[in-house]
Amino acid sequence: MKKIKNLVVASRLKKDLVERRTKLYRIAFSWCHNASLADDLVQDTMLKAMKNASSLRSYATLDTWLYRILHNSWHDYLRVKGRNVELHDVHDDASPDHVDVFQQRQIVDRVRAAIDQLPMTLREVITLADFAGFSYAEIADIVDIPIGTVMSRLYRARQNLKEKLLDLAGDENMPVKLMRVK
Amino acid sequence: MSDIEFTDDKLNMFIDGQLDSDEMDAMHDALLDDKALRARVCQLKAIRELVNYAYDSVPVPDADSDQRTVVRNSTIWKSIAASVLIVFGAIAGWAVNDSYHAVKHVASSDDVFQYYKQNASVSTEARKIILHVTTGDIYSVNKALNEAEQLLASYRAAGTPMTLDIVTYKEGINMLRVGVSPYVKRIEDILASNDNVNIYACQRSIEKARAKEGDDAIRFIPETVTAKTAQELISERLEKGWIYIKV
Repeated sequence: MKKIKNLVVASRLKKDLVERRTKLYRIAFSWCHNASLADDLVQDTMLKAMKNASSLRSYATLDTWLYRILHNSWHDYLRVKGRNVELHDVHDDASPDHVDVFQQRQIVDRVRAAIDQLPMTLREVITLADFAGFSYAEIADIVDIPIGTVMSRLYRARQNLKEKLLDLAGDENMPVKLMRVK
Repeated sequence: MSDIEFTDDKLNMFIDGQLDSDEMDAMHDALLDDKALRARVCQLKAIRELVNYAYDSVPVPDADSDQRTVVRNSTIWKSIAASVLIVFGAIAGWAVNDSYHAVKHVASSDDVFQYYKQNASVSTEARKIILHVTTGDIYSVNKALNEAEQLLASYRAAGTPMTLDIVTYKEGINMLRVGVSPYVKRIEDILASNDNVNIYACQRSIEKARAKEGDDAIRFIPETVTAKTAQELISERLEKGWIYIKV
């Protein structure tokens, strides 16, 4: 019975992982800023997810479970390589698909550079919140920290980015969608 | 009139949709009258949009182009699906009375090797084993080779036919590199004395190594097969019921 359940979960998980691959990759990239490494992290995450499909207690928590695996894989990598290596050696120039839009490229580069300068703990939280769109409770679950810590890290990350990017946020050349407040 | 204090934490919670409905209403009301508050919220939202903007266009590697497919003609999915089957395949292949508990440890080379060594004599069924080496760590690879040699010896002594495919991936390919690996001679000896052992280096990992070190720097033991990715090699075997051991 347990085997049948595992097969059913694995079959469904396969489809759901395909749908989530792009987002997983981009979050991984936002942490490591390295296309090849991000790809490896996502592959590892998917393999681990399938191998441990039976440990997924509820499908409602699939996303937090997946990103927790990704987060753990990322930290496993950091532990092996060491933080200094990660900071200095893993940057590469993944070819953007907006090379023809110079201004947008500049904005993207500046924002990524600012995020890259954040301490890793802040970088992880702000990308999970602002890019992946997770709630505070979900981030707490993924990163394994209290919600209060999520809030304080998010606050510090945004304050830091605000100081570095404030002129950008007020730049009249900024794409409209970046300035709009709903 | 709201008594909410609009701290930065509250503003963050507001733009993240983390306030309760009463607080959200109060914030909306306050924003109508308070220009400075609107500016603060605007800045935070702009930061959030910038973060989103910075990564929303990151090109995702095309799964088909690098042969590590995830969608159509998927090899990784074959691998992934097959990896799940490890649990069941291993159960079927192993002694019946040592089922689930043993299978849970399939990822540990120690446990699996020990298990096979202990059980080689009780089965005459052919064994097909993939040894997936993903690390270049000298200690780990040396230990794996020790175990592989003992495993081969155990099966030989038991008269049980077996095939062992050593599939290397990532830094693991270094164990097969001439001029880099301290194990070259030892691996060649294993190959010379065992017809049933094959060695593979992941094509994708080789490409990455060549991109980093140059084409001329990468040379392998002549018997090394390099035509496929590790994912392809492993998925093909797992689909045929091979036992998977990761080092």
